Amino acid sequence: MTMPLRASTLMTGAAIGLAVVAAGQALGAEPEATYRTFFGFDPRTSVWIVAELHLLFAAFVLGVPMFAVITEIIGVATGDARYDRLARDFTRLLSAAFATTAALGGLLAFMLFSLYPGLMSFLVGVFQLSFYIYALLFFAETFTLYFYYYSWDRLQHRKSLHIAAGVLLNVAGIAILGISNSWATYMMSPSGIDPRTGAFVGTLWEAINNPLWNPLNVHRLLGNLVFGGLVAGTYAAVRFLASDDPAERAHYDWMGYVGNFIAMSALILLPFAGYWLGREVYSFSPVMGNNMMGGAFSWTFIIQAIGIGGLLILGNFYLWLGMDRIPGAERYQPFVKFILSILVVSFAIWLTPHNLPLSSEEQVRMGGQYHPTLKYFGLMPAKNAVINFMILSTFFSFLLYRRGNVSRAVPFSRQGRWAKGITLGVSALVAAYLLYYGLWLINADPRMLDLGPEKQRYFLLPGYALLGQAAFVGVAVLLTFVDRGKPGQVLLFAYTALNTVFVLGIYGFVVMAEASPLLRNLAVAQWISLLSCIIVNATIDVFLFRRAEHLGALRWGRMPALSQYVLILLSMWAVLTMGIMGFIRSGLRENWHVFGVLQDTSAWAFTPTNAYAARVIGLCALIFFALVFVAFWLSELGEKHRQTAAAAGEASPARPA
Amino acid sequence: MVVSPSPGARKASTVAVFVLAVTALFVYVGEVVTHVSGGVVAQAPVEGVSAEAGEAVYFGKGKCSTCHSIGDRGSAIRGPNHGVSAQFDTPMGLRAEERARERSQATGRPFTATEYLVESIVDPGAYVVSGYKNEMPLVYRPPIALKPDEVRAVILFLQSLGGEVSSEAIKLPETILRAADESRAAPWAPYLKGDPQAGAALFFDEESKAGCARCHTVNGRGRDVGPELSTVAGTRTPQFIVESILQPSAVIASGFEPYLVETRDGRYRTGVLKARNDRGLTLKTERGELLIIPAADIREVAPQETSIMPGSFADDLSLTQFHDVLAFLLTLTGEDKEAAAGKGAANGKAQASSAGGGHAR
Repeated sequence: MTMPLRASTLMTGAAIGLAVVAAGQALGAEPEATYRTFFGFDPRTSVWIVAELHLLFAAFVLGVPMFAVITEIIGVATGDARYDRLARDFTRLLSAAFATTAALGGLLAFMLFSLYPGLMSFLVGVFQLSFYIYALLFFAETFTLYFYYYSWDRLQHRKSLHIAAGVLLNVAGIAILGISNSWATYMMSPSGIDPRTGAFVGTLWEAINNPLWNPLNVHRLLGNLVFGGLVAGTYAAVRFLASDDPAERAHYDWMGYVGNFIAMSALILLPFAGYWLGREVYSFSPVMGNNMMGGAFSWTFIIQAIGIGGLLILGNFYLWLGMDRIPGAERYQPFVKFILSILVVSFAIWLTPHNLPLSSEEQVRMGGQYHPTLKYFGLMPAKNAVINFMILSTFFSFLLYRRGNVSRAVPFSRQGRWAKGITLGVSALVAAYLLYYGLWLINADPRMLDLGPEKQRYFLLPGYALLGQAAFVGVAVLLTFVDRGKPGQVLLFAYTALNTVFVLGIYGFVVMAEASPLLRNLAVAQWISLLSCIIVNATIDVFLFRRAEHLGALRWGRMPALSQYVLILLSMWAVLTMGIMGFIRSGLRENWHVFGVLQDTSAWAFTPTNAYAARVIGLCALIFFALVFVAFWLSELGEKHRQTAAAAGEASPARPA
Repeated sequence: MVVSPSPGARKASTVAVFVLAVTALFVYVGEVVTHVSGGVVAQAPVEGVSAEAGEAVYFGKGKCSTCHSIGDRGSAIRGPNHGVSAQFDTPMGLRAEERARERSQATGRPFTATEYLVESIVDPGAYVVSGYKNEMPLVYRPPIALKPDEVRAVILFLQSLGGEVSSEAIKLPETILRAADESRAAPWAPYLKGDPQAGAALFFDEESKAGCARCHTVNGRGRDVGPELSTVAGTRTPQFIVESILQPSAVIASGFEPYLVETRDGRYRTGVLKARNDRGLTLKTERGELLIIPAADIREVAPQETSIMPGSFADDLSLTQFHDVLAFLLTLTGEDKEAAAGKGAANGKAQASSAGGGHAR
């Protein structure tokens, strides 16, 4: 049982050592070698495949500890021992995955230093110190993982200390993520560069803290959490399908539910982070930004839209299937068709392209280059509106699922001071932020967006809409305090949908035509409005149904096989979407290794087609899943060995003292 | 005795098939999107300073069209429309005169329409159209890094949108001219330094994996199915040549567009359309044969987007062979025809030119 972790440590050390040696070789490499091939193969695709596999495994080994610590905390908070077992099982899975991640990381470093010595020489000149910090953090992560896993039994009665170790493990993991993100984002948005000579004249911190660093940090952090939950769900689904034992099926059904729950909680926030990242790409370089959504990658974005929309729809579908195992949830089944309609229509709009390459004959038949109605669905205001609607609907689905098993809400007045304090505190903070941003918009000087003073009127509607949102937050909380929490939630839902989807969504077209720079702030107003509804309604919901009477035991394990395939599909879809997003992010640099500073002069300095990208990403996904299944299998072998040894120990006579 | 797989193994197989099917679906979506969106659109190299060259830069290297539209052409709205639109009554060439008057009043110095256009590229923040953000990049700096002649061409193109076209009026300031000298954009260089003599041998040897002479001629050697390549390096950029070899369907040379003909007896014939009249048409096949098909036999004629040139050279040629052929092609500047013909090809099985089919590039 201890072998995998020891092996992983050895491999980690070896990989880091090899990477450092590779760095040394690169520094001393012959100066004229700018590019090399990978045993005759295209070096770009070779690096692409290894980097993507490394990133997928890295997401796994960063996402799973987050998932494990969260479930351990839930276990302590609820007193349900199943959560503790789940957290431990997943930490066990890390061992083989950790070794694979380290090995792939070493290979990637080797390849980069060997195949792209010119680029790596430049990056070493900027980031040298961070490489050593990265290596140290890797050791820190290995040791904290060791401690976290092996102290599980010993610290069973000192859970806070054990959880602290888990948090430290995540701190190390997140720090590693942050450092590697700084390298990737520096290549997109280099800072500390002399604009005249292109030489790096800044400090290491300037290079790390480049414009895209934090947006990518947040996006990947949330993404890893989604990923960790979904991979956990896949593991549970495979075990569920393979088992005929009702007790085992019940356990893995529950495990799949927990994995999906955590994944969906983070997924709901992910589009916000994605929007921030995209917005910062635009802010750093309109050239790169336009290339992203209006240029070479506009159609890749359609595939990405299919990925994101697919994840939301599949997540909802799993929740709806899960209602079958909840006594009482049948009361909410009639809502499903409405939610489904909203999701399907929104999804269709979400992936409608603005521009189709049409022949002249097709244009004549359609009456122009754009369809008279559908052309609006391809524009940003429509996209912002429908993604908000999809997230709001997913949140609504989730609330229905939560309520499925409880008979009626508990009067809020009976929930105690803590409940009232938390509800009041959370909603006050939310309302304060809504008021702050709303008033800022109302009083904003249009010149900050290079708009004339006459454009100030376009700032007013979103500003007042946010003040209205704050007012509705107040009304919802007020109604909750007088034991009318449900109508309060409904009011807040209704205003949010009206505000973010219809009023601000449609107003986006006006802004786009008359004051397009304001569109970004309008989108922020929509996000804030939606988030405020999610936070306040979730808080109210927790306290409305705390200690509520249940309508019967959940029938864990009573799920159709279809639901388990949905779980598998969810994680596959996530992997493929991650691949597409990575292709876009990396490809935005076009023929630059470091955007605008160090040009890619190799024969592969062109953007591959979406078809080619899909093939490479599909191949990576297959390799990844094959390796993950091997890791699962190895982990099971170790566990079986431990159980056999334990059983043998129990059967044998006790040794004399 | 036949051992049937355990239920667990059967479930694992089902999951594996499911995973494969989902991956296949994803790859299919990628293929469909590429098909619908037209795939890679190679940019034709821009030669000279003209409004036509400027149009190519505007919609290509300059990336102007990712922010600006021209009337109904394009859908970008980040920057002002350069044609006539709901917001602008006049196209850019004409609008520039009005803007020049505004700039004269604002700065107190005389402005011509062309000077306004030059200023809008050299210093885009000097005058920002109401309703738009000051975020236009300096296109003569990296990452776009237009050369002075490309900037001139774009200005000529903008002038041509309703205004007076005059290249003499374009006076680029030192800022742009200096930027070209300082440009950090490294010149393109092949990935490997190929051997032009070995490349010539591969080119002319019709039995080799390259065997380019089966379809192309260089200084009279080879067949004329595809475009003549004696001066290809003088008229095309190296990147364009690389793309032409690896992705022959991206841009199909004018006059070499492939056609598919369905005959009334249900057969399909593909080739380059060499002639067409009321009596029928003539196709040149990839083997160089001329096919004359009478009009009475034709059911349908459809232009094709896929070149008849094989698209498999990336797989067929080793990296070294590819760069050898490329190195040979890059010698074909037309300046020294004798050298361009490739003395090293003496060992190659050069074939006499013969009548043959045409194809892409």
